[in-house]
Amino acid sequence: MRHALNTIYRLAGGLAASFIVAIVAIVFVQVCLNLADKIAAAFTGTGLGLTIPSYADFTGFFLAASTFLALAYALRAGGHIRVTLLLSRLPTRAQHGFEIAVVAIALAMSAFASWYIILLVYESFEYGDRSSGMVSVPLWLPQLPVAFGLIILTIALLDELVGLLRGRTASWDGKGENLLSE
Amino acid sequence: MSIAVLSIILIVLLFAFLGAGLWVAFSLLGVGIAAMALFSNAPLGLVMATTMWGHSNSWALAALPLFIWMGEILFRSRLSDDMFTGLSPWMNRLPGQLLHVNVFACGIFAAVSGSSAATAATIGKLSIPELSRRGYPEKMVIGTLAGSATLGLLIPPSIILIVYGVATEQSIARLFIAGVLPGLLLMTLFVGYVAVWAILNRDSLPMEDISATFREKLRRSRRLLPVMLLIGGVIGSIYAGIASPTDAAAVGVVLALILSWSSGTLTRASFVDGLMGATVTSCMIGFILAGASFLTVAMGFTGIPRILAEWIGGLGLSTFTLLAALTVFFVILGCFLDGISVVVLTASVIMPMVQQAGIDPLWFGIFLVIVVEMSQITPPVGFNLFVLQSLTGRDILTVAYAALPFFFLMIVALVLIVIFPSIVTYLPEQM
Repeated sequence: MRHALNTIYRLAGGLAASFIVAIVAIVFVQVCLNLADKIAAAFTGTGLGLTIPSYADFTGFFLAASTFLALAYALRAGGHIRVTLLLSRLPTRAQHGFEIAVVAIALAMSAFASWYIILLVYESFEYGDRSSGMVSVPLWLPQLPVAFGLIILTIALLDELVGLLRGRTASWDGKGENLLSE
Repeated sequence: MSIAVLSIILIVLLFAFLGAGLWVAFSLLGVGIAAMALFSNAPLGLVMATTMWGHSNSWALAALPLFIWMGEILFRSRLSDDMFTGLSPWMNRLPGQLLHVNVFACGIFAAVSGSSAATAATIGKLSIPELSRRGYPEKMVIGTLAGSATLGLLIPPSIILIVYGVATEQSIARLFIAGVLPGLLLMTLFVGYVAVWAILNRDSLPMEDISATFREKLRRSRRLLPVMLLIGGVIGSIYAGIASPTDAAAVGVVLALILSWSSGTLTRASFVDGLMGATVTSCMIGFILAGASFLTVAMGFTGIPRILAEWIGGLGLSTFTLLAALTVFFVILGCFLDGISVVVLTASVIMPMVQQAGIDPLWFGIFLVIVVEMSQITPPVGFNLFVLQSLTGRDILTVAYAALPFFFLMIVALVLIVIFPSIVTYLPEQM
């Protein structure tokens, strides 16, 4: 069970990272095509009109997928920013209590958001909503990773809550805030 | 219940969430949920789902992970070493000598990185040991670094300007270009201060004797060439209108990879580290922005920002008084919150008031970023202070005291851009 959960978090994190690589790839190729276009226009007088269809839309979809799929991974790596100033002054037992309360609140919100994102995906599917643009894709497709990301985050928070209630420390404990984040 | 009582409830709730250690993104979501549940009968969950989805898939925002990744790659490369070697021979004539390396190296690194903490860490890890070994006073070494590293926020590319641009629907390219002159202004102020300080405190500075011939200087500066090309390529293409910030960022990532590969610092491990670091950071910021976008929508339902704007409008404050009050407010807020949270809260609640007062949102973005820069070096929460604390092993108050003169220099810069707004608006108007 432990192993399976850790694998899910890491897989989702890896997937999120590969979406960022995909953004770089798609945008870089488009920039090269623009350049080729300009050069062709300079020599022949007419551009070739090279574009990856709807590349801006796809970039946005990849970004959303990356952001949400990485949620659980970032949570466990201590990547999400929070104010620990007051908390760190408290005795350890009280800190543990606060940690439980905070994780419980976050879990409730994450579950709530997951539920409504699932509804959103279902509606997009049901009504056959499609993205606008040259290449039109059914909207439920890019929305799906967003839903998965939130569900995985909910699972991760539940996982943490169970651990905390059993007296263990949180997985982000001691990893500190990501100082290079700003 | 009156709107005043409800506003107070929401503010108390926000600070309770944040103070208890709830993650910033969840705190924003929570306040948004409370605001909508108390003020309106709109379908809460659906509004939340559509806003979070709608605001997280955006072409402009895609520049964010890319610039973060570019910074992560360069952070792991030999760049800081190159900068020290390339810059130091030119600083001999200036009073304060190698202290200026901190200012210039930070200014240059800021032009390839969008983050002030990353700038402090990259430049500091080399210059702190080097400068202390040569006998430069610790207070000035830490101070120049703490102050100059905040340029990472202002000199494009800038992560916080992307956040501001997306949250307030301003053109990111124009914001980037608007940050250039104020960034140079701050650098000039820092260099001037160091020079004056050095003339007044001649005794406490070591005498450097690295007289190099002009030829020798040029030879050593050759190592600056790749980073200069990178800056020129990335910022130049945005300014020339060839590339959008997202395009430029993708090219920047590819160039940074080539740069670090050719200097032999790109390994499988450093690639994966950099990429995962960028993934985590951009996820954190993206999630905060998703929470903030929902809070903005929820605030729209409550009408609080509109009422606040009307109330401030009714007071008939001069722009100057309003800006002074906002500065004090942001500096206090910035003592406890990180810069990104300050910016997204501003976008959710304060923006209508700013626009009501007739303040240009482009100009205000730069103003806000300078105030956020100030908050980077004020205790107890200041990210540059944290970085320098861990680099030097001194406690946070020592570091903050060393950075204090630079805090005042930033106030000078603020006053200057208020009196001469064209420092900010001149370049974007030329685009």
